[in-house]
Amino acid sequence: MNPDDSGEPGGNLTCGRCQARLEPTKTQFSYLGHSFHTEVPACPVCGQVFISEELARGRMVEVETSLEDK
Amino acid sequence: MTEERLAERTYSLCPVCLRRVPAERAERDGAICLERTCGEHGFFSTPIWKNRLDFREWTKEAVRLGSRSNPDCPSSCGLCASHVRDTCCMLLEVTHECDLRSCRFCFADAHKKNDAPALKQVTGWLRRFVKPRQTFLQLSGGEPTTREDLPEIVADARRLGCKYIQLNTNGIRLANDLEYVRALADSGLSFVFLQFDGTDDETYRRLRGREMMGVKQRAIENCGRFNLGVTLVPTVVQGVNDDRLGDIVRFAVSLSPVVRGVHFQPVCYMGRIPGDISAYGRLTLDELMEGIYLQAEDILGGAELFPSCCDHPLCGFHGAFVVTDDGKLYALHREKPQNTDCCADAARRNREFIGSKWQRPPAGGCCCGDDETGPDGLADLGYFASRVKSHSFTISGMAFQDAGNMDLERLASCSLHVYRDGATVPFCARYLTPLGS
Repeated sequence: MNPDDSGEPGGNLTCGRCQARLEPTKTQFSYLGHSFHTEVPACPVCGQVFISEELARGRMVEVETSLEDK
Repeated sequence: MTEERLAERTYSLCPVCLRRVPAERAERDGAICLERTCGEHGFFSTPIWKNRLDFREWTKEAVRLGSRSNPDCPSSCGLCASHVRDTCCMLLEVTHECDLRSCRFCFADAHKKNDAPALKQVTGWLRRFVKPRQTFLQLSGGEPTTREDLPEIVADARRLGCKYIQLNTNGIRLANDLEYVRALADSGLSFVFLQFDGTDDETYRRLRGREMMGVKQRAIENCGRFNLGVTLVPTVVQGVNDDRLGDIVRFAVSLSPVVRGVHFQPVCYMGRIPGDISAYGRLTLDELMEGIYLQAEDILGGAELFPSCCDHPLCGFHGAFVVTDDGKLYALHREKPQNTDCCADAARRNREFIGSKWQRPPAGGCCCGDDETGPDGLADLGYFASRVKSHSFTISGMAFQDAGNMDLERLASCSLHVYRDGATVPFCARYLTPLGS
């Protein structure tokens, strides 16, 4: 992914492989038998998605932790 | 091919003289029984599992006693080098006085008056065992809310670094004194463990000697006003309220998010008990779980309960859920945890598990997710992240041991400890009461 400095949520990102601009796309995530979706920037050509550090270290970790037993 | 007959060696006690004796978990009359012989008082067989669930499967992660058993266990208790678990929850008795005193069963046999230790003494005890940012403290008694200075004890515990502070209560004071509830919340109380045996007054008349349903409802309501989570704690007695398990779960879920779960406790015979306990039988852990599965099927939706990871599997079970918008339970865990006996930090993990579920997030909404549900409900990651904090719910149970079914392998894995007279003692050793001759 090639970020630019637009400052928009998700960024004005382009796909490093296809050079297409990423578009907000409803994307499915699975963990321990549970499935969720959220909107993340994705390449309209190859489907590669960009997961921001904020999402990965924030909400995703919270959800994963809640699904793991003690 | 037939399965080999069960014969597991452990140690137990004579129920009459409490002498330590070799014992065996063995099959008898379709049940698993704890069997032992006292040279003076004879042979005893007590059912501990009635084969409503697979015993071997349920107990396969247990930490076996083997050669590590301390020959002085439990008479020299404090925790010894043979004890397997660190402290998950530390119970502190802050009084022996009680404002109820009509209970048919009371592990603490609370009745004395005006014997509460001075605040200075309680604070001194706290200083000796509190580990900053770790300790899960349960304030118990007697009835702790008979103390006017309980909010000061909570404040001291918080100042000393307790991570979670839980109040074990019958709810009478919380129902009748809103300012007292406010003071507890302002002092840093984390959540409330509310004696709650059923949803009808008849149950309370039989177990507590008076009608109490109104009291329980007001106590929950008042806790809700100050963002205090409440866990309902039924004492389950055969023939009294073992047919009300589903009602209790449904009632609890209907009061989510204030009510954070139900923690079932099959009756055990310690402290104040009726003269003839044979009338009340032995409700085993598997019977209790079967009752929950059958009576709460509509709301559980096939979800499973799992063995305790922190204590011995025969001591407890748990299930973690989110309450959905339409009042159902969404199960967070779908597979039994594996290899829990190798977790050296089982107590810490359990403490965080419980604390995170029973404590409500700060009032004013969650800062980390989307509070409003959309058409996709819990399938939306943001909504799920928010809901799992705001509407967490647990169904758990703990089967305490008494002189009639004490298994020292279970005792060695106990993580619920009582601080008393400078010693840290497993709960069931602290309240052990001989069952008469």
